[in-house]
Amino acid sequence: MKKILFLILFMCFMYSMHAQTISITGNVKGAEDQTILPGVNVVVKNANIATVTDFDGNFRLDVPINSVLEFSYLGFQTKSIQVLNNTPINVELLYDTESLEEVVVIGYGTQQKKDVTGAVSLVDKKTIEKLNPVEVAQALQGTVSGLAISSSSGSPGAEININIRGVGSNTDNEPLVIVDGYRGELNSINPNDVASITVLKDAQAAIYGIDGANGVILVTTKRGKKNSKVKFSYNTYAGLQETTKKLDLLNAVEYAVIVNESHASNGDPIIFDDLSNLANDTDWQDLIFDRSFIQNHSFNFSGGGEKTSYFVGASRLEQEGIVTKENSDYVRNTVKIALDTDLRKNLKFSSTVNYLNSSRKTITNAVNQDTGEIEEFGQGGILFNAISFSPTFAENQDDTFNFLGNEVFNPISQKNNTFNDLDSNGLEGSFSLKYEPVKDLEITSRIGFKTFNNSYKRFFPILNLGESKVINETRSRVLEGRNTLNDYTFENFISYKKTLAEVHNFQATLGMSAQKRVFDQLEGTGFDVPNNLWEFADIDLALGATEARESNSLRTDQRRSSIFGRLQYDFNKRYLISAILRRDVASDFAPSNRVEYFPSITGGWNATEETFWNTDWTVSFFKLRASYGEVGNAVGNDLYRATLGGEATYELDGVLVNGVANSRIPNPEAKWETVKKLDIGADLKLFDNRLAIVADYFRDVREDLLIGNFPVSGVLGADAPGAGLPTVNAGTSRNRGFEFLISYKNNSNKKFSYNVSYNLTYLQNEVTAINGDIPVIGGSFGVGQVEDVSRMEVGEPIGYFYGLKTDGIFQNQAEIDAHPSQNNLGANTAPGDIRFVDVNGDGIIDENDKTNIGDPIPDFYMGFNMGFSYKQFDFAMYANAQVGKETVRNYERDQANVNRLDLYLDRWTGEGTSNFVPRATTSPTNNRLFSDFYVEDSSFLRIQNVQIGYTFPQELTESLHITKFRIYTSINNLYTFTEYIGYDPAASTGIIGAGFDTGFYPVPRQYLLGVNLNF
Amino acid sequence: MFSLLFSCSEGFTDETSVFQIDSENFFNSEDDYQNALIGAYDLLQSTYMNVMVGEIASNNTSSGGESASDNPGIQQIDDMDHTPANANLKNIWDWMYAGVDRATYILEFENEGAEFEGKEQYIAEAKFLRAYYYFELAKWFGNIPIKSEGRFVVGDELTIPLTSQKEVYDFIESDLESAVNNLAEQAPQIGRATQGAARALLGKVYLYNEKFNLAAQQLDLVINSMNYELESDYNLIFETEGENGVGSVFEIQYSDAEGAGFDCLQCSEGNVAVGFNGIRNYSGPLFDTGFSFNVPTQNVVDAFENGDVRLDVAILDIDAWALETGATFAVGNKHTGYYNRKYIPRQGDADTGDKNLTNPNNYRAIRFADVLLMAAEAHINSPTGNQALAETYLNRVRNRAGLENWNQVGSLLNAIYQERRVELVGEGHHFFDLVRTNRAVNDIAGFESPKNNFFPIPSEEIQFSNNNWINNNY
Repeated sequence: MKKILFLILFMCFMYSMHAQTISITGNVKGAEDQTILPGVNVVVKNANIATVTDFDGNFRLDVPINSVLEFSYLGFQTKSIQVLNNTPINVELLYDTESLEEVVVIGYGTQQKKDVTGAVSLVDKKTIEKLNPVEVAQALQGTVSGLAISSSSGSPGAEININIRGVGSNTDNEPLVIVDGYRGELNSINPNDVASITVLKDAQAAIYGIDGANGVILVTTKRGKKNSKVKFSYNTYAGLQETTKKLDLLNAVEYAVIVNESHASNGDPIIFDDLSNLANDTDWQDLIFDRSFIQNHSFNFSGGGEKTSYFVGASRLEQEGIVTKENSDYVRNTVKIALDTDLRKNLKFSSTVNYLNSSRKTITNAVNQDTGEIEEFGQGGILFNAISFSPTFAENQDDTFNFLGNEVFNPISQKNNTFNDLDSNGLEGSFSLKYEPVKDLEITSRIGFKTFNNSYKRFFPILNLGESKVINETRSRVLEGRNTLNDYTFENFISYKKTLAEVHNFQATLGMSAQKRVFDQLEGTGFDVPNNLWEFADIDLALGATEARESNSLRTDQRRSSIFGRLQYDFNKRYLISAILRRDVASDFAPSNRVEYFPSITGGWNATEETFWNTDWTVSFFKLRASYGEVGNAVGNDLYRATLGGEATYELDGVLVNGVANSRIPNPEAKWETVKKLDIGADLKLFDNRLAIVADYFRDVREDLLIGNFPVSGVLGADAPGAGLPTVNAGTSRNRGFEFLISYKNNSNKKFSYNVSYNLTYLQNEVTAINGDIPVIGGSFGVGQVEDVSRMEVGEPIGYFYGLKTDGIFQNQAEIDAHPSQNNLGANTAPGDIRFVDVNGDGIIDENDKTNIGDPIPDFYMGFNMGFSYKQFDFAMYANAQVGKETVRNYERDQANVNRLDLYLDRWTGEGTSNFVPRATTSPTNNRLFSDFYVEDSSFLRIQNVQIGYTFPQELTESLHITKFRIYTSINNLYTFTEYIGYDPAASTGIIGAGFDTGFYPVPRQYLLGVNLNF
Repeated sequence: MFSLLFSCSEGFTDETSVFQIDSENFFNSEDDYQNALIGAYDLLQSTYMNVMVGEIASNNTSSGGESASDNPGIQQIDDMDHTPANANLKNIWDWMYAGVDRATYILEFENEGAEFEGKEQYIAEAKFLRAYYYFELAKWFGNIPIKSEGRFVVGDELTIPLTSQKEVYDFIESDLESAVNNLAEQAPQIGRATQGAARALLGKVYLYNEKFNLAAQQLDLVINSMNYELESDYNLIFETEGENGVGSVFEIQYSDAEGAGFDCLQCSEGNVAVGFNGIRNYSGPLFDTGFSFNVPTQNVVDAFENGDVRLDVAILDIDAWALETGATFAVGNKHTGYYNRKYIPRQGDADTGDKNLTNPNNYRAIRFADVLLMAAEAHINSPTGNQALAETYLNRVRNRAGLENWNQVGSLLNAIYQERRVELVGEGHHFFDLVRTNRAVNDIAGFESPKNNFFPIPSEEIQFSNNNWINNNY
């Protein structure tokens, strides 16, 4: 280095011999946030004179007069300035976030975006800062084409599901999340610590083999820069939250009229004799929805010396709920440390450690028996009760005599008797060593780890909210549990770059990975909690039950060992090809059935690199690319194992004794899903890169979907008590569609700069094969109806709604007589009842007429984002939409006395009164059978974020050593355009059975005020 | 370097440490054998279907139920127009094979697993149970798939052929011949198989297999063991107090201690048939309500001789009872006015929900009277048999019923057949007696031979086995 410098100086000296030189000094800063930029290359054009800026961003150079200085720095736009005299030059460089030089993470390596041959989306730091999400996942909605997030609850801290290019699996569609090289999760990171997010959507994910089929989200967190002064950054916001919607329900009088009418029509005495003198008119929604508070503080500092750089961040989020706010609050603390150091010139160490601590409360005690997760919706949930509970009851009045059915009770009493706590602690991160023995040969060794504990406690006090209510408890109990997850990944990979004959560029990557994931669970229950109070709810203070086991434990140990390789070649950056092969061994499957290879190949043509391409043309960049490969989805674990969970009970010596028997028939052949992914795409930039277009056609064919309850011969013993049919890999689904993204930004050097972008994804999902043609059935609607309302069946989308088709309302007996009989559905028909369609045309309406009446998978996803800045002001808006999806109105209880939507004001009350809403009656009808009367179009357009900011001029803040001081106000979830009646058209849960709305906790609207401060 | 890492990592995935017991590493102690055995006994409770539907198949009872479309599978069998698509036949097939599966699971670990004193008793019980389930399957379906070693696995349906009914009987005999030597005369717990139960079942299988001499030998051993005698009060046999009584050679235990639902009838610990047999919408003394299936015909009522005390025990004349007690009831499908009094619900049990499915009435699977009559039949048919002994056995049964000795009119064999019918009415034996003695064609309306000698193998099994397992008569 010294030699080179000396050479440069020497040459400068030589040059100065025959031209007039002046000595020029100056300083380089980042234009946006006024950060000092050390290490900026300063080069004199057409001369061999160059230097770099020092620690304070200063430089000094002797140059010929009138020469042109070029300032270049990674991540910033290059700037040229002509030297006219020796006045010090103060240069401000603009960010170059969307330049072609963007670097994307592709798994075990990085690549310049213009060389990428797969379908990749990138969300940068600025977008995340602008969107200002509470959870990282929210930054992906509408900004990444083909990606959709959904949540079963808007409750703070609730899990957010991510689907990339739709739902292809009936078991698991969650993408793999890799944070700085470790297997992580988006909800454990502070959004402020994220530097960029790369999403791999196609066969390029084959580098992750058996875990890549649902797409891969690669998160890079912020790190310090070497040779930079310490920078502090403090970001905060606080605000109010409220529900976006309350349902239009009946008031007490309207309600009483309908209840009376229902009873009268069946010849029963009416309930409310005096409509003018009803006891109450309680608005239960008003009582359970709260305006609540949110605040977030995030602080970090970063910098670096000659060999070491650091980033330290900490944050605290406090978020109350909007449904009974004290019962659904959430606190999240994070600390993040990133440390990089050069141990030797060719040996680099880097580490990321992320600590998470959170505590959460939820509005109901309902525990999903399958997942163990707390659920906040469902029959008997608090919103369900707020909708259904009678308005004639007083706030503190329980339904003592069970007027409203077993699943409906006073939501306020429910709230007052709900006690739960969930505390989580996590420590995760990675340590890696990178060794470069010779130029272009890199050897990386990395340990990723994630250790996560949570402890939960739920208290069920002695409770009687009315006769036979499902929430009643005769004996108080406290349930406590501990979960521990330990996940380690040890990876070694080697990468070598070589260029032959100046045009043949090769890069090879070869590596291995070993992963161990151990999950431990311990759960116990204590009974008879002292004083029946939450304060005493602890197993230590409680008693044991007299029979049955009160504690459970579970341990799983999953291991992977993998080797992978990738070979990339390009001819002069013009023709690009990349081949990937990964071999995975997974302990989740039978020993003889654990190995699989996942290959993929991608290729591209950079037309603009062709010699004939004129760089002055309108089209500044044009690339065609295609990819094909196989990627896995590691579902189906442990299905090979024959477990002993069957029922074995017999009477011996006059008492029942329990023994042991085999449970579900094992499937030794059970394995993962394999997805064959095809993607053909084009990247286009015009007008000096200002207009960008990305278009992709994709087709994912997913094979070996797991089909449960697969019929097999009875000789195998599947029909024994507690046994069951095996789960086999027997289905195939196909997702195909296209993605389109167009964005425009003007030259950001202007005073008024703006950008707009729009993306559109069209998606078509279809189950293409199930061996033996056995539909997978599920979902539940109403109470006590067959759980066959959502299906996975050949020729239909996964989880489509399976029910009866309606054709208006019978207006009179003559119409009923002229129509095929509906009596086989279970009840007789009268005028005012729903007319069902004889779909199979056999002259009788029965179960066989059930058909596809909608599906929860949107046909189109859209994102629309825009922003502009003028002088010190900035404005941004993000919106997203889903079109062509349906949701089932399943928050209505089938009981004559419950409250209901004002939709029922327009019910049928006589010939010609309504051809849509059936009559009100207590007599048995078929009207509550699952039909398209309950299916609504839930397409929506949501304005997700609107933000206005003002950055104080630097002149004002400089004296305070503040490099940036911005204040902003934003509204999250401002408005949703939809025709859907329920709370939240975007909410969903599950796969088969998705889209059944039992009263989803709506995502709140948030009014925020915030400050960004850098110093 | 990579090959090294690679070979290391291969073992890494095999070393998972999970505290999980699965079926292949289960048998580590005597308790484990006992626990698995409970699982194998459990399926005996699902034989309620065999008993109920078997009786309906005969000329003793009619299907009944609410209407002609109530449980169509049962209605079809009553009318002898059943096909391979029959839900009840599928249940019998699935449940009996589930029993075979659970018994065979223990037998797979006959030589592996823990060694301890008395292990042979567990193995013998498992063989008894496998024999019991296979015998039911052979009686119902005739030619069936069997597997001598190990449980059935996926794929067997395509490769294992049907075994003829006779060879299935031979196979069952070998299981039982081995079991009798290792079973105790007194069961370790009430409800478990004894040596006498295994001998009685073996004698019965020999009889069905027309090995009359061997049958007579085994059944004589049971009779001469002095472990059993005829309960003097015939009525007591079928009441709670009579459970596991002196005349009970093998009895299936039912309980009302646990609830049950219609979604898993085989999971019930109660006798589901009892609720099905019960008086429709009954309100009155002594009995409890039910679904009015399995109603006795006039034909069987007429089969009783005058003075037979068994008539009023076996058959409830509901109209007379209602008149006498003021009880009320509803009339169901194929109402005959009679109910199968031995196995209808009694008041006084726990009524655990669904109370129709949790009646605790044990099923007296092999009664001493049955053994006597089978022995008598075997002696008559055996060339070396003892005719006089046969007549003695017959008369012991007759005398207990308050009847005189056999009047020597007609053949002794027919007298034994007649006695079996009235002694065992309502207990699910008559249909198979008629079939094995070639009397079904004459006695059962709609019965065709050979077609109806065996019930059809369920249509699902025909599909799974790609026509490998099919009864071509259907």
